[in-house]
Amino acid sequence: MNAREAIFAAINKARTESGASAAIAAEAQACSEAMKRTLPALDLSDLAALFTARAGAEKVGATLERVAALGELPAAVARYVAANNLAPDFAVQPDPRLRQLDWGALRPGAPLRPDSALAVGIALCGVAETGSLVFHSGSEAPTLYEFLPLHHLVALDAQSLLPRLEDYAVFARDLAVPRNVNLVTGASGTTDIEGVLARGAHGPGRLHIVIFN
Amino acid sequence: MSAPAGTFHDRVEKALHDPQLKIALERTTGNARRKRAAAVEAWPEFSAARAAAAAIKDHALAHMAYYLEMFERNALASGAQVHWARDPDEARRIVVEICKAAGAKTVTRSKSMLGEEIGLPHALAEAGLRRVETDLAEHIIQLAGETPSHIIWPAAHRTREDVAKLFDQYHREKPPAHDVVSMVGSARKELRADFFAAEVGISGANFLVAETGAICTITNEGNAELTTTPPRVHIVTAGIEKIVASTEHALQLTRLLVRSATGADLTQYTTFHSGPKRAADRDGPEQFHIVLVDHERTKMLSELPEMLRCLRCGACLNHCVVYRAIGGHAYGGAYPGPMGSVLTPAFDGLQQTRDLPSACTLNGQCKQVCPVDIPLPTMLRHWRSRSWRAGYEPKIAGAAISIWAFVAARPALYQLAQTFALPAMRLFAKAGWISSLPLASGWTAHRDFPKPPRQTFLTMIRKGNRS
Repeated sequence: MNAREAIFAAINKARTESGASAAIAAEAQACSEAMKRTLPALDLSDLAALFTARAGAEKVGATLERVAALGELPAAVARYVAANNLAPDFAVQPDPRLRQLDWGALRPGAPLRPDSALAVGIALCGVAETGSLVFHSGSEAPTLYEFLPLHHLVALDAQSLLPRLEDYAVFARDLAVPRNVNLVTGASGTTDIEGVLARGAHGPGRLHIVIFN
Repeated sequence: MSAPAGTFHDRVEKALHDPQLKIALERTTGNARRKRAAAVEAWPEFSAARAAAAAIKDHALAHMAYYLEMFERNALASGAQVHWARDPDEARRIVVEICKAAGAKTVTRSKSMLGEEIGLPHALAEAGLRRVETDLAEHIIQLAGETPSHIIWPAAHRTREDVAKLFDQYHREKPPAHDVVSMVGSARKELRADFFAAEVGISGANFLVAETGAICTITNEGNAELTTTPPRVHIVTAGIEKIVASTEHALQLTRLLVRSATGADLTQYTTFHSGPKRAADRDGPEQFHIVLVDHERTKMLSELPEMLRCLRCGACLNHCVVYRAIGGHAYGGAYPGPMGSVLTPAFDGLQQTRDLPSACTLNGQCKQVCPVDIPLPTMLRHWRSRSWRAGYEPKIAGAAISIWAFVAARPALYQLAQTFALPAMRLFAKAGWISSLPLASGWTAHRDFPKPPRQTFLTMIRKGNRS
């Protein structure tokens, strides 16, 4: 008996399973619903406001601003670059929505490097409950854009906001499973020395989110 | 890397005489307790949520074969290679073989308690591979040549002053200052090049998602993705009990896991890894291996089923009066604290580890804070009674308990003994506490005993003194 067979034999000895897959799926659904009934109430009337409050909370620590349209992103980046004394060269996630913007005097062509100061990206969607940005890896969203730069500036479409984590799970069911799904909640940090929070462990030290309509 | 040496009693003795350890443990676990309490307060139905979380894990464990098969099918379809290991030896061999086949010289690792459980650090060293721990705490203890002492904060036994000394000694560029932020920055600089030099990156998994075949990691530093994305090969090692039905269940459990561990709503990075780099992807590994490890878990399905719910949040450690006094190394296994005292006898045999379930006051704090409501005190009692029945307990303990039982079963004799004992004990009390007592110095050396009242409760009742 190989390892796989031995493990399954041991499981089947301990657990005589019965039930068709439809019954098991119904049981799984009931478990999810029971958990949902325990959740604290959320004000879902304005998801962008809820997202802003959660992502901007001290324990998450992102900074946020709102603009009227994606076309205003270059101006927001220019303000951020000036406020943080960054070079006007930065890496841009290879998403066509970002590449086709008019960047003016900014120079968005820099390659992503292990020590990039700034990368500008765009999230697939956001989860309001936790203030999380969601990225699915792919040709237009390489994973390392979320982890290498010291400053990560992310555009987020207000229309893409989902109320809760469960809503993301339902939304993702209809999409192809990418190599990497990342729910990013605030800038990287660590509490490994005496439980004290320090930002910018190995990922970005600053996360700035620009919500557009 | 040196595992804790000596008997349990030796290690406890050493820990109790280490004032630095007490400071480090109180700083880390105190912070964790405060933050968890605040997070739980913001979730009024938390107690019902714990029951719902337990039900989610129990559902997956009730259909374990069904969901593991589904996980394997979906993982294979994503291009992953799935390996099965009955025991740590088999798991280590699989990992080392994959590393050798990849021609690896440097292997990066992001924190995984299962990796510690199966002895992976040692196996990689034996195979001549350069192991780079990328989690900050694991980096600290790798420099110190130690094993983890906490499942969430492996360097919980180290003060910031200790870390400063280690970084000054070992970092190519010394930290510019010794505050926490400067030292974190120094580790970032030190490890940057290794992320890209490694041929293989190894991670653990918080969940195995049957519905998609993805594995989920819950991290906060960003080191996990930098460990798993740049190298050519990503290896995941995970216990089979990490199986859950769906992405939805994984996220629902994460809500409780993170609040119980650090008090946050979510950690910075909740990541689902599925298979190798896709054709159009610009980054990611060419090979993605998942090593699924049994190591006594199928036995625990019958013997200690609730223990398989454990999410490894560490709340039971942070709230345990014993852990907070002796730290993780004293326990001797990969997992310390209450959950470790249940797991280690299952992994290493009860005869060698029977002291662990006894090092517990049964105050029930661990069960109260457990996000999946594991009856830890009941399980510790289960090991105690097994040890007793197997004849592992010393004869002298049996004799002492027999004497106590003889007296306790005879109320008149018991009260008489108390009548003599109370005034005698009061002679040793100062300011309401007894800090040293003849014949009980082993007990009073590290804790005080409250000064007993003048009379027993029963005497007071009999005299009608009910105030």
